[in-house]
Amino acid sequence: MPKIILILLGAVLVNNFVLRYFLGICPFLGVTGRVESATAMGFATTFVMTLTAAIVWPVNHFIIQGLNLPFLEYVSDILIIASLVQLIEMFVRKTSPALYRALGIYLPLITTNCSILFLALFIPLRNYGFLESVVFGFGAGLGFTLVMLIMSGIREELDFADVPKSLRGAPITLIIAGLLALAFMGFTGLIGTA
Amino acid sequence: MNLIILATLSMGGLAAFFAFMLSVAHSKLKVEEDPRVEKILDALPGANCGACGFASCHALAEAIVKGEADVNACMVGGSETVKQISKIMGVESKAVTRKLAFVLCGATANDRSKKAIYQGVETCRAANLLMGGDTACQYGCLGFGDCEKACPFKAIKMIDGLPHIDPSRCTGCGKCVQVCPRQIIILEYFEDLNYRVKCSSLDRGKKAREVCKKACIACGRCAKSCPFEACWVDNNLAHIDPQNCQQCGVCFLVCPTGAIVEVQNK
Repeated sequence: MPKIILILLGAVLVNNFVLRYFLGICPFLGVTGRVESATAMGFATTFVMTLTAAIVWPVNHFIIQGLNLPFLEYVSDILIIASLVQLIEMFVRKTSPALYRALGIYLPLITTNCSILFLALFIPLRNYGFLESVVFGFGAGLGFTLVMLIMSGIREELDFADVPKSLRGAPITLIIAGLLALAFMGFTGLIGTA
Repeated sequence: MNLIILATLSMGGLAAFFAFMLSVAHSKLKVEEDPRVEKILDALPGANCGACGFASCHALAEAIVKGEADVNACMVGGSETVKQISKIMGVESKAVTRKLAFVLCGATANDRSKKAIYQGVETCRAANLLMGGDTACQYGCLGFGDCEKACPFKAIKMIDGLPHIDPSRCTGCGKCVQVCPRQIIILEYFEDLNYRVKCSSLDRGKKAREVCKKACIACGRCAKSCPFEACWVDNNLAHIDPQNCQQCGVCFLVCPTGAIVEVQNK
């Protein structure tokens, strides 16, 4: 199988950022109340992740590794991510005010989403090329969106279910997240070792 | 030494690049919003109840700034809100005209007779679906309190199976009106002293009396006694016109069943 497909499948299913590495739990718990806002958040994050991967790779390759400044890796990553999220926030505010209001505080919170920093750190770690990095970023975002969609769908159904009083809200969501993680473990071995 | 210079220049360069991009984006992607919208939004209660007819408090704020809505459109906020909004818009403050909810049924659980034993979902809407509920009167209040649950301002309390509306809390949002399956809650303007027919029964005489002790039996005494022609009987139910009513109270005195009530709203 071509490496690109392996990377994509790996990022989406086998090594899902939320369910395998437990990253991005904040929006995962915070924005999955309704399907519309969850998918919107997922798409916004995917957009940020893809762009981040596209910008982090050249900066990493030419500046951090090129000039041998490994101690600046974290600084440059945060700089890139923060600026990108700001740009995207401005873009969303202009193009869709309703979406902007729906996402609310969670849009700038994408900056602090650990999954994006993890993505930026993983790229040099795995020695990906430019195209591979972008695909990896896109796949990570896609996997995140998938899980957001699943969780929001379940939580919407849960509104009609008889959840015990002490478990309502965050507790039952976390339990479901654990069950989802168990389910996604079934994907291991799908593509050999990724 | 070289390392420090290299690090400073590279990070500085990166930062400068992004700062440039952000400033370009800021000017290109600027969202023009009248600052008054934000100020009005702060003055509004923020309940997003929809009573004004707009989807959200933000939508109303935009409409007020555009001139599509009046400064006293929000009846929930009260006179304080209207004053603030008028100040922001630079216009004269208008009086808050507020409608209040009124239940057109005066029968408590004791007054109503039941025609069946109801076993089912304890909501008015469910009961009404099942052969019109368990009350013998097919027009009046069922008493399960859907209105109490629907009120976002806790203005309705079920006492003895009849909803009581607190005029100090009622904002005229109309949620109770929508929810009542018998549609016997109305929104009206109230004076300090009012007389209203607190009944919706279209039955007359003996039949009305059988099903409820407080029913309007369409005897017509109120209509005959009103000196201002503000009271009449139509379709076996007495009506009072608030416009012509001069609050003399004669109808209230002559009504044999107590269907006409005195409503004091402060």
